[in-house]
Amino acid sequence: MLIDLSENPACIECGLCREVCPVFQIQRQEEYGPRGRAMLGTAGSQTLIFYHCTLCRACRVVCPVGHDPGGEILRTGLISAGIETEANQMMIANIRQYGNPFGPLAEGELPKTLTCC
Amino acid sequence: MESLESLFQPGQVSTRAETKVAYSRDASRIQGSCHGVVWPETVPDVVHLAQWAAETRMDLVPRGAGTGLCGGATPQNSIVIDSSRLRQIGACDIQSKLVVVDAGVPLDQLSRTLRPDGLFFPVIPGSHRSATIGGMIATNAAGLHAIRYGRMSDWVEEVVVVDGEGKVQRLSGGDRKAFAGREGITGMIIQATLRLTEVPKSRSLTLFSFAHLAEMLKQVKELKTNSALSALEYLNPHAAALVGWTAKHSVLAEYHSDEGEIRDPAEMANLWGARESLSARLTQAGFPISEDPQFPPEALEDNLDWLTVQNIPVFGHLGVGILHPRFLLEDARITELYRRVSASGGQISGEHGMGLKKRQWASEALKAEVLALKRQFDPRHIFNRGKLC
Repeated sequence: MLIDLSENPACIECGLCREVCPVFQIQRQEEYGPRGRAMLGTAGSQTLIFYHCTLCRACRVVCPVGHDPGGEILRTGLISAGIETEANQMMIANIRQYGNPFGPLAEGELPKTLTCC
Repeated sequence: MESLESLFQPGQVSTRAETKVAYSRDASRIQGSCHGVVWPETVPDVVHLAQWAAETRMDLVPRGAGTGLCGGATPQNSIVIDSSRLRQIGACDIQSKLVVVDAGVPLDQLSRTLRPDGLFFPVIPGSHRSATIGGMIATNAAGLHAIRYGRMSDWVEEVVVVDGEGKVQRLSGGDRKAFAGREGITGMIIQATLRLTEVPKSRSLTLFSFAHLAEMLKQVKELKTNSALSALEYLNPHAAALVGWTAKHSVLAEYHSDEGEIRDPAEMANLWGARESLSARLTQAGFPISEDPQFPPEALEDNLDWLTVQNIPVFGHLGVGILHPRFLLEDARITELYRRVSASGGQISGEHGMGLKKRQWASEALKAEVLALKRQFDPRHIFNRGKLC
């Protein structure tokens, strides 16, 4: 069942989410963790860091107030502002031009680059 | 900053705008200003950083998980040293019940590692999911089982620190008190040897409800004589109602024995879950400011009565007199609380620390202590300036 984001309470910045975040576990930097992203969102930053969220929502599960640090919400802001990753831009251009996200492919050829939104 | 970056590997220093925003405050939400962040991975990294700060006179702010509630890790035009890449847990010495851990290890990670050996680290603050060992030492954390196990300083056998002159010090015995509860003003904690204890063979709970405070405190006095008691958590009527319990003075007693009324693990987990959810529930209910006064036993009745009459929700570790009354933003009654704590001979900060939030309330004795420690460990004042007092 999808979480109703309209009822998403504000982040209280307690930091209890950071250890469950797979991105934080790799980067070990606050700005890549759920609290850091929420703080960046509150500060009005429009940063590609928001694309680093895997949207797994592990942070939402452990959040004591039920906040969703909002991969979708923060990304919506970026998309509205026309801010995309290079991979995104390439993928969209390929779909428009070639009908697939990988670009021109010969019969039976496997893509050399796999991208994901 | 270029000279700082040249000391480290790429990726160990950041002065990006995003980094500065994310490190500009801790869970206290007291706003600060961060010039950059360093993620040390070795002891020499911290030594080089301290030497650089001594030369450049830059303030260094040690940071664990940033779960502190008093701004202890809030930078003030400072460089933050984040311990999150200092994560090694050494082999556990089961015989002597000791383990060596890096400062950035979160308590829950340590607990999971120790479980197969039948041992655990018994100081458990509410933020155990993220709180790091270094941060817990720096605030001398107490927590849910303080009545049985005391606080961090009781369980730290040895601490390795880098002081304000870049010297690596290995402190044991009485010296460790120079770092336990000192909120990073004497240096950066790098590693600690912790004493462990055996996981109790059985656990049980009883939830008591009382209409009158005097009646409750009489029962508490009796409960405290029980050697199996391992937690004694209090909720006043306002707080109890928020977690769905009867709106009375409530006491959750945990025993390391079968004598409690509730022995079913799922039921016990539910009760502890309700208790641990309280802080967040109170924030949502409009009481975001958490205080942590510690009252002597004889002052509890009068002060609990005052808090309840004021309609201030309160919970806390009643067994050791540490309460967590919750206030509205800019609540003028906080000053009255501090006045009452001082008048009763208690402590304004029972376990959260002084940080930036309470430094103006530091006693003359604390100021003198801090000055002496600064002379000994950080004569150039490079570590966490302006914190504690």
